[in-house]
Amino acid sequence: MTTFTFFGGKGGVGKTTVSSAYALECIDAGLETLVVSTDPAHSTADVFDQEFGDDPRPVEGYDGLSAMEIDPEREVQDHLQELRRQLNAQLSAAMVNEVELQLEMAHQTPGAYEAALFDRFVEVMRTADDYDRVVFDTSPTGSTLRLLALPDLLERWIDRLMDKRERSIDLYEKAAIGNQEPRRVMEGDPILARLQGRKERFEFAGEVLREDAAFYLVMNPDELSIRETARSLETLAEADLPVRGLVVNRLTPEPEPHEEGRGARYLRERVETERDRLERIEREFEPPVVATIETRVEEVRGSLLEDVASDLEIAVETE
Amino acid sequence: MTLAERIAAFRATVEEWLRGLYHGMFTHPAYEKIEAEAEDTEDAFMLACFPDAFGIPSPVSYYTAELLPYLEDEYEAWERRMWDRQSVIERKGHQYHF
Repeated sequence: MTTFTFFGGKGGVGKTTVSSAYALECIDAGLETLVVSTDPAHSTADVFDQEFGDDPRPVEGYDGLSAMEIDPEREVQDHLQELRRQLNAQLSAAMVNEVELQLEMAHQTPGAYEAALFDRFVEVMRTADDYDRVVFDTSPTGSTLRLLALPDLLERWIDRLMDKRERSIDLYEKAAIGNQEPRRVMEGDPILARLQGRKERFEFAGEVLREDAAFYLVMNPDELSIRETARSLETLAEADLPVRGLVVNRLTPEPEPHEEGRGARYLRERVETERDRLERIEREFEPPVVATIETRVEEVRGSLLEDVASDLEIAVETE
Repeated sequence: MTLAERIAAFRATVEEWLRGLYHGMFTHPAYEKIEAEAEDTEDAFMLACFPDAFGIPSPVSYYTAELLPYLEDEYEAWERRMWDRQSVIERKGHQYHF
C-alpha cells in the first residue's frame, strides 16, 4: 500500500529540506521512498547534489530513495503538442486553424499550469506501486495545495458537462424521424467517453487524497508565514483534507547562558519572540506542531540533512 | 391489372400522400423544434466547455481542450449559430413559427 505525504507552505520556508529529511526518515524505516518535487526552481537537485529528471531516478548514496522533478511548464507544452497531433489526424485542414486558436487559448488560461500539475500528480499516484511512500514537495505557490482541494469541484463540473451532452444527444436521437440517422448517437460518443475518463481520474484522485494521503505544512516563526499557514489550513479543511501536523523550521538557536555581547543579546531576544510565536501557533492552530528545526549556518545538504532528519518527530508509520 | 389491384394501388398512393402531408404539416415542424432544442443544449455545452472563447476563464478549459479533436461538426455549427444568433428571443421565435 503506497501512502502519500504532502509538504506545503509559503515560499522559502524550507519545504524541500523538510521533505527530503522526512524521506530519509522513511528509508531509515525501511520504506521504498520517492520524492517528487514540483518546484520549477528545483532545489531537490541542490539538496542531494545530483540532477533529477521527469522520471524517478535513484538517489546516489541513499538506498531505497528515488527522486523526480516535475516541470509544469513542460507538461503544458507536451499536452498542447499531443492535442495538436490529434487535431491534425482528426480534423479537416479548414477546421484545424479555427480550433488551433481555441487550443492555444486553453493552454494560456491561468488554470492550465495547475491543471497540468494536477494531471501529473494523479499520474504519479497511479504509477507509484513500486514505492511504499511518496513524498510530495509542493511548489511554493499556495495554489498547489488549493489544487488538491479541486477534484470534488472538477468532478461536479464534468458531471454537468456530461449531463448537457447527454441531453442534447438524446434530443437529436428523438429528432431523427423514422429511418433517418440521428445527427449524434449516444453509443460510442467520443466526447462522453473522454469526459467519463476524466471523471474517473478525478474520482481516483479525490479518493487517494482523502484516504491514503497525509498533509503537513511547513512554516517559519514569522508573522507572514503564520498567516499563510492559517489560510492553507482553511482551504484544506474546506476540502476535507485535514492537516496532520505543522513543522516549524528556521528557529533561532539559543546562546549559551554565559555568553554576553551584542550577538548573544540579539539571539536571546530573537529566541524570546520566536518562543511567543511558537506558543501562539500551538494555541491557535488545531494540528499539532510535530517538529521544530533550528536554523543551520550552511545550506542544508548532504550529511546536514541527516542531522535535520533526526530533528523531525513525524512518526513514520510502517505498518 | 384487375379492378381490385387498381383500387389497392390508388389507395396506397393516397395513403403515402396523406402521410407526407401529415408529416409536412405536423410532425416535421415538431421534430424541427426538437432538433433546435438539441442545438440549443449543444450550444450550452459548448459554451460551458469553451467559455474562454468569450474571454471568460474556465478552470476546466485545459481539460475540455482535449475534446476539440472530436468536436469538428459541433464546433463549426456552434460558431455559425453564435454568429447568426442575434438574441435568444430571436432564436426561440424561430422555433415557435409565430
